[in-house]
Amino acid sequence: MPPEPLILAFDTSAAHCAAALLRGDAVLAAREEPMEKGQAERLMPLLEEVLAKGGAGWRDLAALAVGTGPGNFTGVRIAVAAARGLALGLNVPAIGVTRFAALAHGQPRPVAVIEDARRGEAYAQEFGAAGGSAAQIGALDSLSMAITAPCLAGSAACALAVLRPGAVVLPPLFPIAVAIGREALLRLATPQPRPAPFYLRGADAAPPSDPPPVILDALP
Amino acid sequence: MQNRLTFLGIESSCDDTAAAVVRHVPGGRAEILSSVVDGQTALHAPFGGVVPEIAARAHAERLDHCVEAALAGAGLTLADLDGVAVTAGPGLIGGVLSGVMCAKGIAAATGLPLVGVNHLAGHALTPRLTDGLEFPYLMLLVSGGHCQLLIARGAEDFTRLGGSIDDAPGEAFDKTAKLLGLRQPGGPEVEAEARQGDPRRFAFPRPLLDRPGCDMSFSGLKTAVLRARDGLIAAQGGLLRQDRADLCAGFQEAVAAVLAEKTRRALAVYSADAPVAPAFAVAGGVAANSRIREALETVCAGAGVRFLAPPLRLCTDNAAMIAWAGIERFRLGLRDGMDLAARPRWPLDQTSAPLLGFGKKGAKA
Repeated sequence: MPPEPLILAFDTSAAHCAAALLRGDAVLAAREEPMEKGQAERLMPLLEEVLAKGGAGWRDLAALAVGTGPGNFTGVRIAVAAARGLALGLNVPAIGVTRFAALAHGQPRPVAVIEDARRGEAYAQEFGAAGGSAAQIGALDSLSMAITAPCLAGSAACALAVLRPGAVVLPPLFPIAVAIGREALLRLATPQPRPAPFYLRGADAAPPSDPPPVILDALP
Repeated sequence: MQNRLTFLGIESSCDDTAAAVVRHVPGGRAEILSSVVDGQTALHAPFGGVVPEIAARAHAERLDHCVEAALAGAGLTLADLDGVAVTAGPGLIGGVLSGVMCAKGIAAATGLPLVGVNHLAGHALTPRLTDGLEFPYLMLLVSGGHCQLLIARGAEDFTRLGGSIDDAPGEAFDKTAKLLGLRQPGGPEVEAEARQGDPRRFAFPRPLLDRPGCDMSFSGLKTAVLRARDGLIAAQGGLLRQDRADLCAGFQEAVAAVLAEKTRRALAVYSADAPVAPAFAVAGGVAANSRIREALETVCAGAGVRFLAPPLRLCTDNAAMIAWAGIERFRLGLRDGMDLAARPRWPLDQTSAPLLGFGKKGAKA
């Protein structure tokens, strides 16, 4: 039997720099450092430290797994851009895993993942036996109407459970990078698109407000 | 083959995602093996200017494709390279970060050296890439985001003689276009209108010409265009096409006059360096404006200084200049670690007083 694939998983979509090296689903090394800023400077050295701790080098990797958010826009891009650069350099796939898929990994189905999205909103996605529903963003009370899964996971699960008597809040099963790596392992056999940030929020750009001048003798 | 260097360059500091491969043999002229620029004009057009978050989103998903296209265009693989150079600032931080992380990924994966490059140095060193220009030369960087007069004495040795204390001229062109209902980017639109216009009808200010030195200001000029426009609208309920053309011509003439006069002053300072073959080079998107180019050429001819303008595709943002600046830095023994930081602000001349941006974030340029 061939050895289990070696996967390096990482995530900078929130106030942390997280990485894990997995042989199949066995964790060889994992680190998670809380960090408000500076992930761009810290990520690559952290990955090299995790590889070294796991006794591996870049060339030993079968795949990269990266957290694609939703989360901090800049943070998500830091990890995704690095993953794409690494994939190009190593000629191995980089597999993007959303925060929803990572937090739902290994949980009983159906489950809804609810994450704090700040500005009084939450992100949510439900996972049933067949897969995930469309992810959504909204105020907790509107999400509580839309979500039907009895089990809730994620940072805003407790807040939603207050509005949903009878809901069961599930604690996280794995550190985030480990969950991303394990989820990627499941997808390794099938071709995957390049990882892309999963923003779920628009870019907050508005068209200019002042109208252009009237041209009195404009050509038709 | 001795000490031949082949570098990948990556650029993502504004609204162009770019990758290029440049090769250089000491003593010879550098060769651009490929230069890919994936512009984002259409993405930003509805908003009347570059939206940083939209730019960052596009860069993050285009950079690796551009790198692949540049390698394919050069007929090379990563194994044929000697290093990876990347714009590490100054610029819109979301885009710069994406470029820096992509470059780090490639460098870590391949073991290639990583060289962080100042975007402005990329522009300022372009005359050496295109024409093998010897130091010292005088440089005018004039684009949508930058406006500086610099003496380039070495790949790491720049002295800023002056620059815009507010808007860059390219920004003023864009804003003028917006005020007059022209399309973005404003440079080519305003220039085309100006060709039909009378530059003498509106007497627009020449800011800071009455003060010594090489500093410039363009935000007041834009306000003057706005006032003139609003005066016409108040009087006649709108603009005639000729009004618009005359406003454009007057505006463009004012920008050209300021740039020419400040360049004339900078040439006087530069002459103290007693260069053997004095040369002046212009770079940045505004260098594409033929009226401005003509005004600068006239100044140089009067001073007996060689005038040099790289081809337009190397004047505007591109990655060939980043690969080249990376080669220049690498030849000086400079390279960066995996902790290379992306910097929104990064003055090329670290010794002169900041022109723009004070406080805890430091100088922008």
